[in-house]
Order: sequence, then C-alpha cells, then structure tokens
Amino acid sequence: MKTYNGMYLMGNHPDEDTFVQAAVRGLEFFDFLEIGLPFSDPVADGDVISNASNTALEKGVTPDKVFRNIEKIRTLVPGHKHLYVMTYANHVYFRGIDTFMEACVSSGVNGIIIPDVPCRESVRFSSVASANGIWYVQFITPESSREQVIEASATATGFLYSISVRGITGGKAGFSDDILDNIRIAREFSRVPVVLGFGIKTIDDGIKSLHSADGFIMGTRLVDMLYSKGLDSFSMFISELSNNYSV
Amino acid sequence: MYTMPDEIGYFGEYGGVFIPETLVNTLNELESAYNFFCQDNNMQDELRQLLQHYAGRPTPLYLARRLSEKYGATIYLKREDLLHTGAHKLNNTLGQILLAGYMGKKRIIAETGAGQHGVATATVAALMGMECTVYMGSVDMERQRPNVSRMKLLGAEVVPVNHGSRTLKDAINQALRDWVTNCNSTHYILGSVVGPHPFPRIVRDFQSIIGEESLTQVIEQTGGMPDDAIACVGGGSNAAGFFHPFIHSKVKLTGVEAGGRGMSDGDHCATLTTGKPGILHGCITYIIQDNNGQVLPVHSVSAGLDYPAVGPEHSFWKDSGQVSYAHCSDTQAMRACVELSRLEGIIPALESSHALGYLMEHSEKFRNRTVLINLSGRGDKDMDTILKETGL
Repeated sequence: MKTYNGMYLMGNHPDEDTFVQAAVRGLEFFDFLEIGLPFSDPVADGDVISNASNTALEKGVTPDKVFRNIEKIRTLVPGHKHLYVMTYANHVYFRGIDTFMEACVSSGVNGIIIPDVPCRESVRFSSVASANGIWYVQFITPESSREQVIEASATATGFLYSISVRGITGGKAGFSDDILDNIRIAREFSRVPVVLGFGIKTIDDGIKSLHSADGFIMGTRLVDMLYSKGLDSFSMFISELSNNYSV
Repeated sequence: MYTMPDEIGYFGEYGGVFIPETLVNTLNELESAYNFFCQDNNMQDELRQLLQHYAGRPTPLYLARRLSEKYGATIYLKREDLLHTGAHKLNNTLGQILLAGYMGKKRIIAETGAGQHGVATATVAALMGMECTVYMGSVDMERQRPNVSRMKLLGAEVVPVNHGSRTLKDAINQALRDWVTNCNSTHYILGSVVGPHPFPRIVRDFQSIIGEESLTQVIEQTGGMPDDAIACVGGGSNAAGFFHPFIHSKVKLTGVEAGGRGMSDGDHCATLTTGKPGILHGCITYIIQDNNGQVLPVHSVSAGLDYPAVGPEHSFWKDSGQVSYAHCSDTQAMRACVELSRLEGIIPALESSHALGYLMEHSEKFRNRTVLINLSGRGDKDMDTILKETGL
C-alpha cells in the first residue's frame, strides 16, 4: 500500500512567506500538510508548538489570515497533496461550525483535525464537515479500547490519526504494544490510511512508524527547525527525508 | 426535580467532554467511580466522618448583627472561612481524594489560582499519603506567597507556570497536559465546577453541603427561608454548591463576578456579563474572548476569581434566569474586606469580599430582606495585597 505521510506547520509562522514556501517545499515529499491555527490555550501541545502559537498570536495572526495563505498554497501544490486544518474546538464553535467549514471549502482545505474533540463529541462537527465535503479526522490512542478503535475507524474520513503516546505533541514517540495493537485493529476496519503521530522526530522514527502504520506525521521537529534554523535547513531536511523513503 | 447534567454531561447547551481522545477513558473511569460513591454507604460515611472530624463541618451560619444594622438587612454569613485550610475548597478535595483512592491512583495533581485549592489538595494528599503536584501561575505564586509555603510544608511540589497570562487559566492548561501524559497513575483534582464532564457535577455535588447546611441552619434560626443568597463566582464552585439546594426555591440567587478595574477588555473577569459561549478547558461555556475566538487576558485583584471562563452550569443558570449574575470591582471588594473586618472581626478572602461588596454597594435592593452570603474563605492569604491596596 502506498504510504500517506504528513507534516504539521503552524499557520503563517514564523512569517507568511516562510510558511508558504515551507509548505510547498515540504509537500514535494509529504502527502499532506496539517496547518495549525494559533490558539491562546493549546492544551494538546508541548512547548515548541505552544510557543509557535503564542508567537503567531503576538504577531497578529488570525484564522482568516491563515486561510488566505492556505488558498495560496492550494494553487501552488498539486491536487493530490492534501491540506488539513488542525485547530482547537473553540475556533470552529465560536465562528459557527457551518461558517468555519465554508471557509475551509473556499480556501481549498480537504480535511479538519480538532485535537480537543474526542469521538464522543464529534458528530456535531463531522456531520457539518461531511455536508461540505470536508474530511473529518478521528483519533485512536494507546488508551482506546477495541470498540473505540472500531468506532473511530468506521467514522474517520481523510485519515485516522493514531496518537503514539499518552501525552502532548513534542514528546518522545511510543511504539508500545497498546498502540501497535490498536493500529492493527484500525487497519482492519478503516477505509482511510492509519497514520502515526506525536513524537515522530527522526528518520528512524518514521521508518519504525511505517512498519505498522500507513504513514507518519512530523510536527514539532519541523516547526522548531523552521523557526530556529530557517528555510534552508528545513529544505535540506526534506531532501534527506526524500532520500530515505521511497516516494 | 433538577436532573442536570444529562447523561452525556450537558447542562442544556453547556458542558460536554472537549478534551483529547486520550483522556476519554480516564474520565469514564472517574464517572464510574463517582457513580459507585453515590451508591456506596461506606464511602459516603467515610466522607461524612472526614468532613465532621477532620474538616470541622458543619460550619456556622452567623447572623452578622453590626453589618446587618449598618446595611438595613438581616445578613447571615455562611462561615466556610472556618473550614480546615480556610476555605470551602476542602469539601471537594476530600471527596475527590476518596475517589482517587477507589480508582487506585497513586499521584494527585491540581491547578490553583489563589492557592486555596492547592492547599486543600496538598492537605488531602498528605492525609492519604499520596504524591502531589500543584500547578500555579507564576503571577499567582507571587501574590499568594503564604499559600505556596503552606503547600510546600504539606509536602506538595508547586510547579510555576510561565505560559500565557501565568494565572489560573494557564495552570489548568498545564495540569491537563500532565494528566494526558500520566492518566494511568494520576488523578487530577480539579478545583472548580469547570472542565469536562463529570467534573462540573462532581465538584458541585461535593460543594452542595454548603447550601444544604445553610438551608437547615437558616430555617432553624429564622423559622423560614431567606429572601436572597449571594456568592462570588470565579469558576463558580462555592456558588454552585451554595445555590444548588435553592435552585427551585423562591430565594433570589445572585452570583458576583470580579469587575476588576472596569469593564474594558483585560480589566475584569465578568465572564457571564461580557463573555460569549465557546469551548475552553473541556466544556462549552461562557468565555471572555476576542472576535477571533482567542481567550482574552483578564484581571481581578483576587487570584481565585481571575479566570476567563465559568462553570457550564452557571452558563445554563444565566440563560435560564435561575441565577442573576452581577459584578463587583476591585475597589468595592477591598472596601468590603475592610468593612467586614472592622464591623464583625472577620477578615474575609478577597474572593468572598466580592459577594459582600455587591451587597454593600446595592444595599437598597436588600433593605429589610434576609440575606445569606457565602463567606467562602478567609483573608489571611491576601494580607500582602490588602496592605498594598489599602495603604494600612
């Protein structure tokens, strides 16, 4: 099966041009991009992404400003490269779920990921997403029971986000039996790729992920690299990834 | 019959479970533990014993004669300031530590604003021999230093939180991050009626003893029901527990939020007056946020009220009109703190001073009425702030 690997970048961070260029460059290797909308209270994120969120907010980044750049990225990358918005529930709820999904549609977003909406609360979001043709990503975790994995697998569209560890973004990836077993169950029931994320930082982490999952997501490492080392280092790392995995 | 929250954790439109998927089963486990507690006489008896012999319940309902005389009403104070550790917070932490023990958890975490919930958590963790970590915004650590020392003395680790506004909101964020990482070993004793289901219900129920005792005591002392009940509201735990037994009565209930320095953005935390519904810390509720859905900085002289959201049940009560919500400024609360100290020889916490301040500022509304005020905590922890603000 073809792999489905993704990267996460914070929207408009560290600045608009760098963000757009990194997105386009990264999507030469990755199959999809998750775009974070900065939020004041990112409880699922570790220091690197939380700090990126704060820095973006201090610079006046708003959801609309990020959507404008998503629209731009959409015109610069081929249609089979997918764009997901990753945002906390308040952004979607506060704007109005319909209005938010319409903004996704008009900027060329393919799917939405909301880390503080568990499966049990997801219908009010996923039903509107689906009505607008936007994929709704569900999660499985090391804590999920078999029934929960089956339910998430049955309802996920786009891909199924498999969280490698109990924890927040930016920690150390886990490949324990609880998550590997759940990935196996998910792949049996899911119609979409099962992708491993949280703590995937090295080429080796990626290779390990692909032993069990359909793909991996790299976030913290890339956000950090882009911010602290700049676009050239980021670009070199993308080349390194391309050389190590068959695309 | 009042049956909120419903079986999926909603108070009408408010509440719910908006947390990372990883915590879903941990919250289910907590709900099962609480349901067991509600059916189990032994556990309930253990809590009753602790509340009586360890914490000092029932707390008095005190007729404040000189205060009543000056403000033209019959004013009773529910003396939660006399509870062990100096505030109502212990009612909840004693209940939750029993749930933690039942679930086999070995480690306790908590957030704290004023430090009262942190002290109450450190206290019960010491009592049960459990490891305890308390997250506290670094701004709050500075303004509530005595409580930081108390927590340390009780054996808790106090972790400063330097993110965001470095107050209660950010302490909750950090506690949630810890919990999602250590959910198997750790129980998070959330200190207010906020957060994901079942916390708003559990905390309200454990705090309802305030209202239940007040109801019995006021009938014993006056032969009837009061006209009004007033409590301060930050997250809203003391108010929720105080109001709950009165919710279907004719008693007029007023929750008083912190009006801070004024009603401009960033100067207050009057969430129910100025906020809009949103999702923060696990539930749908009123939140102080900007037009882009970013949670705004808030201010109150009182660290325990310095919070940009409120419990979902208060949001429901506001919309249904079952409770009225008002606000009291920093200055009015400070004046009330001095006034009560000098009229009654009781130094109230700055949080509770907001409920008193509202009554004093609007005494015409309460003339010749019988008013219960929940004196949720004592003011010892606030001495630095009080001295600075009043120039005493």
